[in-house]
Amino acid sequence: MGVVCVYTFPVPEGKSGQQVVDSLQRQLELLGAVKTANFSVDCETYQSNNPTGAAQRILHVLHNSEQPASCFAILDNGTTLVADVLFEVLVAKLTQSKSGKDGYYERRKGLKIESKGPRFELSDFIVKIGSVSMASNFKGILVEVEYCPCAIPGECWELMKEMMQSFMGTVVENPPMAVKNKKDQFYTPSDTVAQYLEHFNNFRKAVVNQSPSYEKEGFSMMMKHFVMCMEIQVW
Amino acid sequence: MDPALTQALKTGVAPMQEYLLQGSILDGSKDILLHRLRGLCDNADTAPETFSDHEMRVLNNRCSQSMCKHLRYVGQTEMGIGDKSRHTLVRTCLDIGVSDTVVKFLNEMGFRADFEFVARGIFFHKGRMKVTVSKLFKLSQPGDPQAGLEPVSGSHLVELSVVAPTGQEQVGEDMKNFAEQLKPLVCLEKIDHKPFAAAKQGT
Repeated sequence: MGVVCVYTFPVPEGKSGQQVVDSLQRQLELLGAVKTANFSVDCETYQSNNPTGAAQRILHVLHNSEQPASCFAILDNGTTLVADVLFEVLVAKLTQSKSGKDGYYERRKGLKIESKGPRFELSDFIVKIGSVSMASNFKGILVEVEYCPCAIPGECWELMKEMMQSFMGTVVENPPMAVKNKKDQFYTPSDTVAQYLEHFNNFRKAVVNQSPSYEKEGFSMMMKHFVMCMEIQVW
Repeated sequence: MDPALTQALKTGVAPMQEYLLQGSILDGSKDILLHRLRGLCDNADTAPETFSDHEMRVLNNRCSQSMCKHLRYVGQTEMGIGDKSRHTLVRTCLDIGVSDTVVKFLNEMGFRADFEFVARGIFFHKGRMKVTVSKLFKLSQPGDPQAGLEPVSGSHLVELSVVAPTGQEQVGEDMKNFAEQLKPLVCLEKIDHKPFAAAKQGT
């Protein structure tokens, strides 16, 4: 396992997600990257049911196709547990209601989010272009780049930056927080998953913040159009 | 994903069951039992394997920790303990390999530590049956087995167990036959844990 950086790649207005993915893919292939497989990272979120005013906990359970036998459980305060996939059966048990009582945890519906797409190899790098979707709605693009031969971020950041800028341009200026905070330490797969979770949470928040204003905008546009038509008719 | 696992996730039913028989033997007679077990079990030609586990029980889960951490969920005992058709105690179990943050993680998830102990002993296997002969110790300081240990009793705990996929009833029969061969040194029985739990809650 090397060092991994995950970035949100902006989708310019008037372009579809697929078009952006295709153009990224073309650029990678020009650099000599070879598509090797598909990948996916997904996240399911649970919240605790506390009967007695204790603080509510949010539990995220993530999978990464790069570590197929493991799952990553992350609490809202950042405590991480790396476990066998069987841990999910335990979570499923905790969400079961028993003899009329609610389970200890409850799955938050409609919040399952995943990033999936093609995985490329370019000599010592692995590049993954993921389309993020939540409840089958497209949310954005995440690009993951891994530099395999080195496990200490401080040692390889400059090299990675140069490589990433060659196909992502100015999106890559600063190292992601998870990489920055671990400059002189060993980078681990749970750091990658933490980066994905941060991006997933941003995508989820964006949905909550934007959708009402979008709707309002859409509605007022429609009304304007309607009023204009009326005016024309009246005139 | 493994279909058994997918099914388990859907239903929340653990895919494995543990068949268990327990008994105890006085420290003085332990060596005779070990001698017999060495003769009966598979690893006869090699020195018996020793282990030292630090087990901590949190609410519903038991987590056993030694050099590597291991999280284990054990379900309620299936069927009444008086069920004569079954020779062993049967309960669902989940064995999960975890990272060393597990104790902190479970605490923050809302689990509270119930009790803990250290088990040290020897482990044998015969086919898929596992036999452990272990001495239980209390910890002088909670959470720190290094700080000092005191034995719980003057006996060793003997356990015979098999973890098998759900629905393999033949296992119980094999275990009963094996347990017969250890008599009268140790009587392995299915032990009802409910009265202990109730007594503990009462105190």
